[in-house]
Amino acid sequence: MSQYDVVVIGSGPGGYVAAIHAAQSGLKTAIVEREPTERLGGTCLLRGCIPTKAMLHTADMLETLKKGDEIGVMASDVALDMAKMHAYKAKVVKKNAGGVSYLMKKNKIDVHLGHGRLAGKGKVSVEAADGKTQTLSTKNVILATGSTCFHLPFIDMSPARVLDSDGILELEEVPEHLVVIGAGAVGTEFASVFLRYGSKVTLIEMAPRVLPSEDHEVCAEAEKSFKKQGMTVLTSSKVTDVKADDKGVKLVVETKKGDKTSSQTIEASHLLVAAGRAPRTQDIGAKGTKIKINDRGVVEVDEFLRTGEPGVYAIGDIVNTAWLAHVASKEGILAVDHIAGKNPRPINHRLVPMCTYCSPEVASVGLSEEAAKEAGYDVKTGVFPFSAIGKAAILNKTEGFVKIVADKKYDELLGLHIIGPKATELITEGTLAMELESTIEELLMTIHPHPTLAEAVAEAAHAAMGHAIHI
Amino acid sequence: MRSEVVMPQMGESVTEGTVTAWLKEIGDFVERDEPLFEITTDKVDAEVPSPLAGVLVERLAKVGDTVEINTVVAVLDTEAKAGEVSAASHEAASAPAKAASASSGAVSASSGGSATALASPAPTTTSAASSNGVPSREELRRTRSTPLVRRIAQEHGIADLSPIEGSGMSGRVTKADIMAFIESGAHQGTNGSTGPIASQPAQQTRQAPAAPPITLGDRDRYEPLGPQRAAIAEHMTRSRATSAHAHTIHEIDFSAVFKARKRMKAEFEERGVKLTYTAFMVKAVADALRAFPVVNASLDGDQLVYRGDINVGVAVALEASLIVPVVRNVDELSLLGVARSINDLAERARKKRLKPDEVRGGTFTLSNHGIFGAEFGVPIINQPQTAIISTGAIKKRVVVDQKTDAIMVRPTAIFCMSFDHRTIDGATADAFLAHIRTTLEGWE
Ligand SMILES: Cc1cc2nc3c(=O)[nH]c(=O)nc-3n(C[C@H](O)[C@H](O)[C@H](O)COP(=O)(O)OP(=O)(O)OC[C@H]3O[C@@H](n4cnc5c(N)ncnc54)[C@H](O)[C@@H]3O)c2cc1C
Repeated sequence: MSQYDVVVIGSGPGGYVAAIHAAQSGLKTAIVEREPTERLGGTCLLRGCIPTKAMLHTADMLETLKKGDEIGVMASDVALDMAKMHAYKAKVVKKNAGGVSYLMKKNKIDVHLGHGRLAGKGKVSVEAADGKTQTLSTKNVILATGSTCFHLPFIDMSPARVLDSDGILELEEVPEHLVVIGAGAVGTEFASVFLRYGSKVTLIEMAPRVLPSEDHEVCAEAEKSFKKQGMTVLTSSKVTDVKADDKGVKLVVETKKGDKTSSQTIEASHLLVAAGRAPRTQDIGAKGTKIKINDRGVVEVDEFLRTGEPGVYAIGDIVNTAWLAHVASKEGILAVDHIAGKNPRPINHRLVPMCTYCSPEVASVGLSEEAAKEAGYDVKTGVFPFSAIGKAAILNKTEGFVKIVADKKYDELLGLHIIGPKATELITEGTLAMELESTIEELLMTIHPHPTLAEAVAEAAHAAMGHAIHI
Repeated sequence: MRSEVVMPQMGESVTEGTVTAWLKEIGDFVERDEPLFEITTDKVDAEVPSPLAGVLVERLAKVGDTVEINTVVAVLDTEAKAGEVSAASHEAASAPAKAASASSGAVSASSGGSATALASPAPTTTSAASSNGVPSREELRRTRSTPLVRRIAQEHGIADLSPIEGSGMSGRVTKADIMAFIESGAHQGTNGSTGPIASQPAQQTRQAPAAPPITLGDRDRYEPLGPQRAAIAEHMTRSRATSAHAHTIHEIDFSAVFKARKRMKAEFEERGVKLTYTAFMVKAVADALRAFPVVNASLDGDQLVYRGDINVGVAVALEASLIVPVVRNVDELSLLGVARSINDLAERARKKRLKPDEVRGGTFTLSNHGIFGAEFGVPIINQPQTAIISTGAIKKRVVVDQKTDAIMVRPTAIFCMSFDHRTIDGATADAFLAHIRTTLEGWE
C-alpha cells in the first residue's frame, strides 16, 4: 500500500486543481472520484459551468443570426437543432473531462474510482462501484466533494417535467413554457437559454430583485432587459404549490406588492427548480473526527481551509465561501500551499469575481454601492453606458453599463459592476486593479485600446472623477 | 577645532532654506559675522553670517540645494590658517538634498557632522518632493506598496514605508498593513525616519481642493514658482484652511497724525530718522495689543498661548515677493525708536541684508495695501498669529461730523482686520480697532 502526501476526494475544479498543484509541489498525490465512469471534472465540467455555457453559446449564436439582417447577414430560416446542440455540448464536455484525465496522468497522480471516505487517522477508504474497497494511507486529505442541486421540500421532483439543473441539461425538446424558480445565476442562465431557444419563459424570484446579490442598479437593468426580450419576471414572488403530471405543471405563486399579496396559478409545460445548491457532506466519514459540519451541511474551515481535524482540509462548494469554480480552484491551491509549508497568503474573498452568463451578461467584483455605503464608506460612483461605446455599437449590443463604486477619501476602488456584452471577460480588469489596490486614477491612466468594450471601464473611471469623455 | 555651521531658521514657519551662493571658497578665512553664504527661503533672501572666525574646510551643500533648518552646511576650522586646507577633497560629493524623509524635529544641530545622513533615500532633485515636505507619490512608489497605500501614506505624512511589514504579494505594503501601522501609532514617533513633518498639524488643516485642469492655448507658457512664491502660496492656503477668518473694517481719521508728523518730522530727520505714517500705526497697534492680550496670542491645539512680547511684523513688498521683518518689543519703544527700527528693517529687507532673527517671532502683523491707492485690502493671517491688519491709502475723504452733521474733508485711512474667529469675537476685534482709532485720532 502506497503512502501518499495528499489524497484529494472529489475531482471538481477544487479537487483536480488541488491535485495538480500538489503533484507539482512535489507531493505524492492521489485523487478519488465516484463518478461511475472515469469522468473527472466534477459539477463544473459535467453539469455546471461548461455545459451551460455551451448551451448559452448556441443561444447567443441563434440570437446573433436572427438579428443578422440588421447588419447585412441574410441568414434565412435560422433554426435550432436540439440534437446537434446536445452533440456539440457533449463534445465540449468530453474534451474538457478528457483534458483533466490527461493532466492527472501527466502529473503522475493516481486516480482511484469510487466513493471516498475518511477512515481513521491518515486513512481514506475508496469503495468502488462493484463494492470492492481499498484503503489509502496519507498524510493529508483534501475534501472537495462539491455540491448537488438543492430541492425545495414541498416540490416533488419525480414527474418528468419537473427538473433541476442536472435534468434540464439533458432535455431533448425545447419547452413550450418553462417556469424557472430562482433568479440567481443558474436560474437566469437557463431562462436566458430557453427564452432564446424559443420557449415562453416565466422567471420567479422570492427576493425583490433578480440576481439579488448584485448591485441594485444592475438588477434593475437586468430585469428591464429580460422583460424587453419577452420574459415574464415575477419578483417578490413565492411558489407555494406545485402540481405536475406527464403533460405539464401547475404552480401557485404568491406575489407581494407593498403590503398586498396576490396569488395566481400558472400553467406551464416544464418547471426548473434552481433554488440553490446543497453541499455533499453526508457520507464522507466525518463522524468521529473533529471536523465540524453545520446544520446546512457546510464544513467549517479556517482561512487556510483547515478543518478541525489535523491534516484534513476542505475546499470548494462544501465550505462557506462563494460557490464558484474559480473559488474552489483557488482554495485548492491555497490548501496545498499550506500543506507544502509555503506560508501562503489567505484568499481575499472580497475580490472574488461573480459572473452570470445570461443575456445581457452580468459580472461584478467587490462591493455594490449599497454594501459599500453600509460598510461606512463615503461612496462615489461612475456609470458609463455601453450605448456610448463604439465597439458595442459595432457588435449591435448596446445594452447595459459599467459602474464603478469608489471611496471618496482615497479614490479606492471598492467595486466594479458590469452588465452588458462580454461583462464576464471585462470584469477581470477590475479584479486585477482591486487586487493591486488601485485607485480610480490608475484605472483612468491605463490606456485602453480603441475600439473595445473595455473602454467602458476607463470611461466609468472618468465618470467617477466627474468627467466622462464620450457622453 | 572643527565647528559646524547650520542652515539657520529664517522666520517662524520656515522649515528649510536653499543655498543660493557661497561667498567663501574652501581654504578661505572668514571673520565672525562676515557673510559666509547666501540663502533663499520662503520668507527671505539673506546672507548668513559666519558664527565664528575660522577657515572654511567643508561645504556640505551645493548652490541650489535645499536643506532643512539646522542641517549642517559648512564646517569651519577655528585653529587653521588661511590656505591650509585644499578645496578638492572637501567639497560636498553629493547634494545633501532636501531631507524629505527625515522628520524635521529629529534633526538638530548637534546631531553630527554628516548632513548626508539625513537624507535616506535621498531624492536628487528637490522638485520631486511636494512643497510641504511630504514626498511625492513618485518617491513613495520606490518602496513596494500599492497605489492606495501611497495615497494613505501621503495623507498621514508617512514619508518612509520601509518600517512597515508588507503582507502583500512579494512583500508589498497593503492597505491593511499601513492601517495597522497607523493605528499602532508607530508613525507618530519623532525619532524614527517616519515622523510626520513638524508644524504640519494634519488634523487641523483641510486639504486644498484640487484645481480644475488647465486647458493650454498656443500662447500660454509655464514658469515654475520660485521658492519664496511657492512657500507663500503654500502658507497662505494653509492659513486659510487653518483659521476661521472673519473681518472688520474701520475708517480712521489721520488729521491728528498729520499734524503730529508735520511737527516732529524735522526733528526726527535731524536724528537721521524718516518719520513715516507706518511708525504711528505700529505704535498704535502695539498699544492696542497691550490692552487686548488675546489679539497678541496664538492658538496651540485647544490652548491659547498669550505672548509676553509684543513683536509687530511689518510686511514689506519686494520685487516678486513679500517679507515681514519684525519690530521687537514695540511697546517698549518710543515713536522715534519704532521709526528707526522700521526704516532700518525695510531698508535691509530690500537689500537682502536681513538677519534670520529679524524675520522671526512676530506676534501680530501689519500690512499696507495703500501704496497703489487701494481703499483697503483683506489680509490673510500670518500663522500662527491670530490677527492681521491691512491699511489702505491715506486719502482725503469727505467725512460727516457725527455731532454737528458738518461735512468736512479729512485725511483718512481704512483699516481692515482679519481675525481668527476661533479665538477672537467680533466685539473684541472691533474694540481693538477702536483702541487704535482713538490713539491715532487723538495723537498729540
Ligand atoms: C448549472 C450550473 C452552472 C454553473 N456555472 C458556473 C459558472 O459559470 N462559473 C462558476 O464559477 N461556477 C459555476 N457553477 C458552480 C460550480 O460548478 C461549482 O462551484 C464548482 O463545480 C465547485 O467545485 P468543487 O470542486 O467544490 O465541487 P464539484 O465540482 O461539485 O465536484 C465535486 C466532485 O466530487 C465528487 N464526489 C463527491 N463526493 C464524493 C465522494 N465521497 N467520493 C468521491 N468523489 C466524490 C463528485 O462526483 C464531483 O465530481 C455552476 C453550477 C451549476 C450547477
